[in-house]
Amino acid sequence: MKITKIKLIYILLGLFFVTTSCKDNLDTVPTTSVTEEQIYKDTRGVATVVNGTWKYLNDTYFTYANPGYTAIMRTSDAMGSDVAVTTKYGYRDAYAFTELDNRRSSRVSYFWTLFYKVIDNTNNVIAKVDGVTGDVADKNFLKGQAKALRAFIYLNLASFYQFSYLKDKSAKAVPIYTEPSTLQTKGKPRASLEELYQLIVKDLKDSEVLLATATKVEKYQISIDVVYGLLARTYLQIGEWKLAAEYATKAAAAHSLMSAADYQAGFNDAQNSEWLWGHLQTTEQNTASYTFHYIDVSSSASYYYSFMADPYFKDLFDKDDVRYALFEWDGLKGREGFLRYKKFKMKTNQIGDIVYMRSAEMLLIEAEGYARAGEIEKAVAALNKLRQARNAKLFEGSDNAKLIAEILIERRKELWGEGFALSDIIRTQGKVTRMAFLNDKGEPIQVQVVDEEGKTKLIDGQGHRVIKFSDGSNFVNNSPYYLFAIPNTEYEQNPNL
Amino acid sequence: MHSTFKYIPIVAVALSSASMNKLYAQQRSIQGKVTDATTGQALAGVSVRVSDQNKSTLTNAKGEFTISTTGKDDPFLEFSFIGYESQQVRASGGSISLALKPSSTDLDEVVVVAYGTSKRSNITGSVSTVSSKAIENRQVSSISKALEGQVPGLQSVASSGQPGTDATIRIRGIGSINASSSPLIVLDGNPYAGDINSINPNDIQSISVLKDAASSALYGSRGANGVIIITTKSGKASGDTKINLNFTQGYSGRAVKDYEQVTTDEYFQLYWEALRNKNLSNGLNAAQAAANASRTLLVDLKKNPYGSQFPQPVGVDGKLVSGAKTLWDDPWKDVLQRTGVRTQGDLSFSGGSEKNTYYISGGYLNDQGVAIESGFKRYNLRANIDSKVKSWLNAGVNLGGSSTFQKYPQSEDSNTANIINFSRLVPSFYPYYERNDDGSYVEENGKRVYDFGAYRPSAASPRNNLAATLPLDKNDIRRENISARAYLEALLTTNLKLKSTYSLDYINSNTHDYENPLLGFSAETFGTVARSSVRTVGQTWNNILTYEKQFGLHHLNVLAGQEYYAFNSSNISGNRSYFVLPGFYEPVAASQLDGFTGSSVDYKLLSFLGRLEYNYDNKYYFSSSLRTDGSSRFSPDKRWGTFWSVGGSWKMKQEDFLKDNNTINQLTLRASYGGQGNDNLGTYFAYQGLYTIANSLGKGGTYTGRLATPDLKWETNLNLNVGVDVSAFQDRVSLTVEYFDRRSKDLLFTMPMAASTGYVGYDANIGAVKNTGIDVDIRTIPVKNDNFKWNLDINFSHYKNKVTSLPDNTKSIISGTKILRVGGSVYDFYMPEWAGVNPENGLPQWYLADKDGNNTGEKTSKYSDAGSFVAGSSLPDIVGGLQNSFTYKNFDLSALLSFSLGGQILDNDYIQLLHNGNNAGRAWSKEILNHWTPENTQTDVPKLTTDATNWTSASTRFLYSGTYARLKNVSFGYSLPGALLKRINIDKIRVFATAENLLTFYGHKGMDPEQTVNGNTYFRYPAMRTISGGVQLVF
Repeated sequence: MKITKIKLIYILLGLFFVTTSCKDNLDTVPTTSVTEEQIYKDTRGVATVVNGTWKYLNDTYFTYANPGYTAIMRTSDAMGSDVAVTTKYGYRDAYAFTELDNRRSSRVSYFWTLFYKVIDNTNNVIAKVDGVTGDVADKNFLKGQAKALRAFIYLNLASFYQFSYLKDKSAKAVPIYTEPSTLQTKGKPRASLEELYQLIVKDLKDSEVLLATATKVEKYQISIDVVYGLLARTYLQIGEWKLAAEYATKAAAAHSLMSAADYQAGFNDAQNSEWLWGHLQTTEQNTASYTFHYIDVSSSASYYYSFMADPYFKDLFDKDDVRYALFEWDGLKGREGFLRYKKFKMKTNQIGDIVYMRSAEMLLIEAEGYARAGEIEKAVAALNKLRQARNAKLFEGSDNAKLIAEILIERRKELWGEGFALSDIIRTQGKVTRMAFLNDKGEPIQVQVVDEEGKTKLIDGQGHRVIKFSDGSNFVNNSPYYLFAIPNTEYEQNPNL
Repeated sequence: MHSTFKYIPIVAVALSSASMNKLYAQQRSIQGKVTDATTGQALAGVSVRVSDQNKSTLTNAKGEFTISTTGKDDPFLEFSFIGYESQQVRASGGSISLALKPSSTDLDEVVVVAYGTSKRSNITGSVSTVSSKAIENRQVSSISKALEGQVPGLQSVASSGQPGTDATIRIRGIGSINASSSPLIVLDGNPYAGDINSINPNDIQSISVLKDAASSALYGSRGANGVIIITTKSGKASGDTKINLNFTQGYSGRAVKDYEQVTTDEYFQLYWEALRNKNLSNGLNAAQAAANASRTLLVDLKKNPYGSQFPQPVGVDGKLVSGAKTLWDDPWKDVLQRTGVRTQGDLSFSGGSEKNTYYISGGYLNDQGVAIESGFKRYNLRANIDSKVKSWLNAGVNLGGSSTFQKYPQSEDSNTANIINFSRLVPSFYPYYERNDDGSYVEENGKRVYDFGAYRPSAASPRNNLAATLPLDKNDIRRENISARAYLEALLTTNLKLKSTYSLDYINSNTHDYENPLLGFSAETFGTVARSSVRTVGQTWNNILTYEKQFGLHHLNVLAGQEYYAFNSSNISGNRSYFVLPGFYEPVAASQLDGFTGSSVDYKLLSFLGRLEYNYDNKYYFSSSLRTDGSSRFSPDKRWGTFWSVGGSWKMKQEDFLKDNNTINQLTLRASYGGQGNDNLGTYFAYQGLYTIANSLGKGGTYTGRLATPDLKWETNLNLNVGVDVSAFQDRVSLTVEYFDRRSKDLLFTMPMAASTGYVGYDANIGAVKNTGIDVDIRTIPVKNDNFKWNLDINFSHYKNKVTSLPDNTKSIISGTKILRVGGSVYDFYMPEWAGVNPENGLPQWYLADKDGNNTGEKTSKYSDAGSFVAGSSLPDIVGGLQNSFTYKNFDLSALLSFSLGGQILDNDYIQLLHNGNNAGRAWSKEILNHWTPENTQTDVPKLTTDATNWTSASTRFLYSGTYARLKNVSFGYSLPGALLKRINIDKIRVFATAENLLTFYGHKGMDPEQTVNGNTYFRYPAMRTISGGVQLVF
């Protein structure tokens, strides 16, 4: 017995010391993250940042009403003249101008987070890609993607957080960061529009070189044509009319306008010949698709269908216009009398690609650029090229002011629901125009609908429900209500702002 | 290891001199009998142990025992029995008869402490205990919910009433800001990594709560927020097997009523007014505005409960048109809530011989919730076996297993699937069964048809009918818990012991979420299914060497050891949609893959620990401990931390000047100080710069996750405890008062960054928090005679939580509606201050702040411009409990009232019922009737309009007092007379009725006052009131 006892004690003591060797075993590795060193080893690692950042921008879910970047486009449309947003969840407060001016609203902070997280990631790529191993061609491609994406984000910031560049280019907008953030990074002061646009133009000009020879670029990546398109948008903002028009022409060159049939197909497929740039969706990666629940007003699966059209918007179209066929008065219970503009439709599995840039927009930039540059003939040609494709009445005459007005209306008609409404109003120093759908006696105007049982009936038509700012004042040009607020947390954490 | 032991004055020992026969043999046997000192009745089951020898036995039914001893000196025998004062007697003869004195206080109980047990009076630190009696037959499914009001200094908050959910526990304040403030749970000696709700409360023998450094520093980096040690029952060597059978059956409802809503008639008139006001502000004249409001009322509300003969139920005067009557009233709670049934049955066997003891139990619980399709089922088994393998070797195993099945429909969050919130969103004029215009039900094949309300406005959850879909859907959580502890203990010499313990906590958790393909949201995708599987394993292995010896008047107990903890959790989950046919529930039957993912984490901790305890003449006690931990969370350079404590106590009663004092039975002063740690900062990888994996469109993707923090390390809590224990008047009154001062050092903290940097912050060891307070525990026996006994216990604690330092140059850190600032608490509210409704125009107002953040006294109606101000804390001033128990002959009655005084709650649940008309179709609280009108200008509810006025945005308007008292438990029982039972060979039959959360005393109606520690509501499942009847049989 004594012997077993001693043996046992030795075993126990042995164990005692064995476990102490676990000391070397205290290193663990994460499975859902990658360390910085692993990322910035070679171009393959850096490529993941470019790809992941794109996903972050587009598929970061904050709320159902804020599924990534599409929320910014929807907000821009909701705050314009032509979408009569219903009281349903999502964009009704943006539509009523009670949300984006509120620096405490969560949407204001989501947008800010989304933009600046992408900026920091692109800054990392731009600063570090040259130091990793890999082909120069690959590095150029990655750097070009990062610079163009950074420019795209700063262009968004410059468009929504301050009035037009042409109003006052020295106006302070948002902070600029061009270096990767570290523990030591302090909040930066707001930069002027001029500084912002200098950076945007420089980034885009750099990527124009870096991406010049890139081949096999996917629709969701930034091709040289997309860089041209972004340059066109940028020059349009800062009044470089001719450059805007020329870059727009280059951008659109390889992307023919879609057919009338494709126009009815639902704007949900990046395969469309007109699309230069868009975000793709799969059954597994479908956060951005949630935006269709707002803009799709005709599919049965659409949950909010809140982006109804202003009835007066319909009057801007000719009856023969291929786009006119998209209008339909809603006769379903609970939504009777609203005007559908059935431009967007989700695919049958409730997903859909998101359009960012189409050649139609480029044509309109070309038209506007030339018109404002005084080259009326070229402008009319561009405008009419689009109108012809849409079977709309062609523009005749040479009244430049009328031409520009027609081009801006054409932008509203062609780009409805694609995120340009508010940014155009700010850019052109215009104002929101909304009228209640009432007759001159102040009574609702009756419209004819077909109900669920197929019966035709007359009911009150539904149009804009908000026709003034929340303080009761009328819509005016360059109203501060149009601008997105910088979130309160930024004011709190960034004393340099 | 064993308890330190002390000699106490022997009160009633009668040595049988007749049989005094001194034997100096190596081995001898001692016999005796133990009785109750007050009644003289024999005591069965008293533990008899030979000091310093591994020999023990229990008294039989007649109170008799026989025990053999070795050694030539007269041995000391230790007698202990729950509810009686332990005694130590020198067995100078062969026979002993002893009368044990019932202990009216807990000062003599044996309590479980870090890595062992100790007698209450020997503890220099702060340890509170909860006995099995206080837990048994509580109608809770998780033991964490039974602790509220029972332990001074312990704050237990059950924010969800869903069966199977746990309460949040905080010990002595909030010790951390960004790291966890939860205490460490230890089960049967080793840290527990299983589910708390998998432990059957009826298997628990005792719970010890370690509150200060001296008691918990031995847990080092894991003990900073206190330690809760749960010990399960073990068998007693008693010859006969004791069988215990418990059965209860009860019914559950809501503990408090929900917010009151307006009637349909009121609703329609209110909404008309909102529309009319909006029309006016859109520039229409009064007549047009009113006419259009009447006309568009149903355009917004979509459903006409007055029938088609009233196409405009509200006239241009804003009143219901004459004759209009609602044809139905369908409060959704009628179909979404129910009376739950609760059934619990437990059976246990315990017993053993001198060599082996066992406790084996099985339990069943079925706890239905008040919300339909919610509930918790648990089957559990436990086997605790201890064996004296050899005279020098003990071995044992504690094995617990459970299988739980929780039906968990969404019951927090503002998600439309939230079953609790649903009846607060949808007013009663939206029917739950489809109705024709005349109010009659639509029937198909003679059956009513659920109304999914596709027509309902989005504020009233359109296309959603949880009463229809939940019974067809699944929200199942199945979990199997296995918890095993095995030990070997070798007695190397009389004084030296080595114990090696291995423990394994294993959880296999499976979720199955299924939405049916026929009705509701998922009909469009013909059903969806998501399944997940998580495997969690926590393993601890420790080896502890203890040395205990008495040298004259000096007593020494030394412990040294080593511990290794490894935790791994791995998960996979996937989801699919488009089922092949209805009636299939598993992913295999769904045709489209929507997602599949999986990941795992590892955490490891290596520790070396030691403790020294010393006392002189049982008067002066000293203890000290030291532990070094290495954690895998931190960088190799920073991962080792050292934690320590010192403590002392002075038992003044042992001094000459008090020895003979008959009034004071105990008087002890205690003090301790030490540093414990906390590494639980939420991430397992807290030093590298990391990029989050975000693959996109078939290609690898990453984006910035966290900044590298190579210097990050433990946070440390420096903890001072000073206490006094007094017991007087034959132990009829006992009192423990403790003062504590907990100060954090190197607090793990998110250093905020401007969001424009791309980060919201980084982890750092900065800032400091202090919790100072007092715990009071008073136990009294106001009445005690042969037939009647009344115990009255009260405990309460008060603490002040204070942020004492923040990062350099940071005046304050604001997150949401909270602010951290030096001098404030960690849960101070910070938000715009409500300035009432402008009597002129009915708009809401808030105060403006000047540049320095001071209230200017000026008001604004633009929420965005309002200043934010500190607005009190969510932390209560006093929490505690009042326990009354009465026994009269065979009747017993007990009641536990817990209370929480002070603190505020931001009621976000309520504000959604208080919209000003901007949420057409959303239910309205009664309070909205008091809205501003030109006639009613003195009110704090603004005018109605369909515009968002932001009035329900967070402001002090919606801060409500968190003060409440709750009758947590009342139980009334009757035990059948013993004489009767003896004839049928049954030891005990007790029938009882018990009620959980019977009464609640609180201020803000509708909101359950038990919300989270930080004072935010989140549309959670309310507490349940459960009333049960039961029977307990012992034979």
